Amino acid sequence: MNLSFAGCGFLGIYHVGVACCFRQYAPHLCLNKVSGASAGALAACSLVLDLPLGETTSDVLRVAIEARKRSLGPFNPSFNIHNLLLEGLEKFLPDDAHVRVSGKLHVSLTRVRDGKNVIVSQFDSREELIQVLLASAFIPIFSGILPPKFKGVRYMDGGYSDNLPTLDENTITVSPFCGESDICPRDDSSQLFHINIANTSIELSKHNIYRMVRILFPPKPEVLSNMCKQGFDDALRFLHRNNLINCTRCLAVQSTFVVSETLDENLEYDPQCKECRQHRQEALVSNMPDTVLSIFQEAIDSANKGLLNWLFKHRGMKLLSVLSLPYTLPADIVYATITKLNLIPTVKAAPMILSRNITDFNIVAAVGTQFETKSLQFSALGNSLVPVNALVPAHCTTCSPITNNQRFMATAPQIGNTFWDMSKYFMDQVSHVLNKLNNKREQLSAKITCQLAVTEYGGTDVEACQDTLSTKNKMNLNFTLNLDDSDLPISQSPGRKFTSSKLLQRRPSLTINRTDTGEDDTFEHILQVTSHHETIMAYYYLDENNKVKVTEIFDVTDSDSPIVQTSHEREFNKNLEFDDDWDESTWTTTHALDDRMYLDERRRSLGETSEYSLEDLLDKDASNLFSDPESEWTGTYKIEEPEDDDDLIPTTDLRPESEQPEQPIYVRACTVPSFTFQNDS
Amino acid sequence: MFAVTDRGSSQTIARQQVTSWFSPDWLTWNKYSEGMLRTLEKKILQIVKTAYRGWYVDIGPVVGPADKIWTISFNTDSPNTPLVLLHGLGAGVALWCLNLDAFAASRPVYAFDLLGFGRSTRPQFSNDATEAEQQMVKSIEEWRREMKLESFVLLGHSMGGFLAAAYALSYPDHVKHLVLADPWGFPEKPPEFKELPLWIRTLSYMLQPFNPLTGIRVAGPLGPWIINTLRSDITKKYAAALEQQELIPQYIYQCNSQTPSGESAFHAMMSGFGWAKNPMVKRIDQMRKDVPITLLYGSRSWIDHSATDIIKNKRIDSYFKLQVITGAGHHVYADKPEAFNQIVLEACSHADRSVKNKHLALMPSHDESEKTESDAGSRSNQ
Repeated sequence: MNLSFAGCGFLGIYHVGVACCFRQYAPHLCLNKVSGASAGALAACSLVLDLPLGETTSDVLRVAIEARKRSLGPFNPSFNIHNLLLEGLEKFLPDDAHVRVSGKLHVSLTRVRDGKNVIVSQFDSREELIQVLLASAFIPIFSGILPPKFKGVRYMDGGYSDNLPTLDENTITVSPFCGESDICPRDDSSQLFHINIANTSIELSKHNIYRMVRILFPPKPEVLSNMCKQGFDDALRFLHRNNLINCTRCLAVQSTFVVSETLDENLEYDPQCKECRQHRQEALVSNMPDTVLSIFQEAIDSANKGLLNWLFKHRGMKLLSVLSLPYTLPADIVYATITKLNLIPTVKAAPMILSRNITDFNIVAAVGTQFETKSLQFSALGNSLVPVNALVPAHCTTCSPITNNQRFMATAPQIGNTFWDMSKYFMDQVSHVLNKLNNKREQLSAKITCQLAVTEYGGTDVEACQDTLSTKNKMNLNFTLNLDDSDLPISQSPGRKFTSSKLLQRRPSLTINRTDTGEDDTFEHILQVTSHHETIMAYYYLDENNKVKVTEIFDVTDSDSPIVQTSHEREFNKNLEFDDDWDESTWTTTHALDDRMYLDERRRSLGETSEYSLEDLLDKDASNLFSDPESEWTGTYKIEEPEDDDDLIPTTDLRPESEQPEQPIYVRACTVPSFTFQNDS
Repeated sequence: MFAVTDRGSSQTIARQQVTSWFSPDWLTWNKYSEGMLRTLEKKILQIVKTAYRGWYVDIGPVVGPADKIWTISFNTDSPNTPLVLLHGLGAGVALWCLNLDAFAASRPVYAFDLLGFGRSTRPQFSNDATEAEQQMVKSIEEWRREMKLESFVLLGHSMGGFLAAAYALSYPDHVKHLVLADPWGFPEKPPEFKELPLWIRTLSYMLQPFNPLTGIRVAGPLGPWIINTLRSDITKKYAAALEQQELIPQYIYQCNSQTPSGESAFHAMMSGFGWAKNPMVKRIDQMRKDVPITLLYGSRSWIDHSATDIIKNKRIDSYFKLQVITGAGHHVYADKPEAFNQIVLEACSHADRSVKNKHLALMPSHDESEKTESDAGSRSNQ
């Protein structure tokens, strides 16, 4: 079953909700081909790449809020959706994104020349992927004048020709418009008349008319949040109705195969399985992951708090701003046309930070000794966030030299902007401080630690992805080393980035009762929830009778984190874990070294790296303990350690290649990274 | 039978001459012509392999002074329970073209343009919901009387499904099996709790007095193009079978560009934005217990499924079968014709069995795949 996401502009937030649900309850569906147009293509890309949901959500929200800020909304000439998307993509896409999505991600484009639909699924470089995604979201005039080029041909929004590309008969279609799609909101309307625009079925209901307007004019964060939740609920309902929610055990048990058979199996629903039923029951009452929800809450809060927002909420102010449009708009347009024509390179980042620093200082001075420490903390947070956002534009602008003349031109409108920003920031700060005067101290500090944790994780994640994805096999190796700590101490890894003691806590260990540690530590907490998408692995091995077995684990037990799972369910899972006699220490001593050597050799002989190879190795026994939290593995395999690989290579030569039994390699059609190995040879 | 058909076409010619006398053809905004509709229907029905016969059934003064219903029939000599097809809003007999062969292989099949739709006459219906519904039901009953059908399997799609159910309520004796394909007008209108912006409420309020398909008539010569753009999916459904892609949108345009009489009847039965004034779920328990019902819809169809549960509960002690066709939308019969045909034929054979059980001694056994020469002849004439 393939997935297809409809293009829908700012309603793309709906897809985020759907993606949340799929990762949580049906990760096996994310492994097939995923197609999309426009915003749907972006959603499809992030689903295929397993990008952290929280950050994608905040990126969508950032663009939406940016669009809402100005007069005329996104149609304000100085709002550049194209650049905003580019920034987001540059930030989130890992270096090897094009390799990972090729063949899986199908992006619908419209050729500008003849208006024909083109579906692209092969990407030669990361830049090419970005170009295709941008082209798929390119609405002429709204996004810019000239559509982006891909392989020398100009393309624009896929929504003009095929907004909901279906690859085959069994494509699950996802659309934020109520209509004839598999996953879509079901409005309480009569559902009789509907239209079909570019393959997307849209019912003529009041709600859909409202949604149509919201394609280009983003609504308030509250509404966006509701749309996201709706996506989650609709996807859940679809999965439930089609019996696609299964428990881990069920999925792992039933996919043991005779090799000659086709591996393209359909997951059958076993109504007898008690755990399945329980899982489904639980899923019915579940909600969006907390990471995503908290981001929404933040956005909503920031939109509602502050003196300015309070001021602008009133009808009178709204009217005033509409009435003042004829005066403000020409100025905006002039400014925007100058910037759009690239006469002036945009130098936004530097003055912004400067002004913030000044205002921070002022506030600290004004408030006095009692609140000094707290506001310092606050401003420190503000500053640390700014550079992250400002990185991309700053980097862009440094490339082009600015002449004196232009610099003057550039600063002229910037001065006004800076003052505006300053005054706004000042107002915000004042209102915040005023709030804090009334509020308790504990609340403030608690919030700050939480936010810090989020940013830290995000930063390290992006960094780690970019640095280490090219050397994945090495990371995998490191993974085993960590496993049996007696073999090689942790200190042996020189390339480690994370040196804090906190990180050592979350290195993989085969402790089962991890749930109790996750409860109080917020960082752990967030990690567990955000990384729940690494939920699938497939492996192939020979058992004692030399029979090749194919086993897949569709791990849905990321719900082990206390947020998602009730204590009762956890108990239930724990009981299951100890069904089989399994001794950690004996296993690691007898098998670990052997397997590692073997694995290394395999990798060499196959000339192919596998993303999950060692995880698979581990999960062979993880099939005995189903509820080992995924976050442990994902946390460490990103750690880079290039040296160890070289050290180990000689050991692989202990056994000549010829003595190895024949090892067939079975690669699934759905391109699950897979690996073949032998248990004990 | 051919005399009747010919009379229809001669009338067309006469009318065309009159219009062209007063205003030349290219000057009229509305591009409806009866001849055109007839040709389009014939062209679409060319893909049906089974021979058919088409004629106007005169049902007398039911709603207007002299109502005629355009009917096509297949395999009328088969002894099995006949199947009668009722189309949905804005459609006509030709849209069944993907299903007719399969149905006609084993039994007589009758399809007709509902009164006020397609090629049938277009009288003025009542503005009252109940009355308009009764007029519709009566026209079906009169048609049945004229056709001398004692009992049949009644299949209705969308609005046709609503009318089929209404007919089965009034005349349960003749309905051997009721097959409802994604029927309209079953669920009740739920209370609106979501508050929408003022401008949307204003817009929907302003649109309410209009007939649902007014836009197509207003568009005039652009009508087929609009249908093709807004409902490209319909064209696509038939693309595999029909070579000429423009036939379907043109046929739909021609069906709906005339005086909106059946459409206004529908508008009368409708309340709000497409809800039924007298929803079927309220009345389904009044239907006689021995009328078996097969309800089928596409998995992508957006018809409210809550009604299904209610029907299930209300008809707990009579035959009720629910079938969902995966991957199909509202137009189940065109989305997945094979699956649809199979389900309908199952329902039909269920009806056959029940008939045989009743009159086991009386029923002579016949070869099912019997075909008549006259039908083949009529086909070549057409």
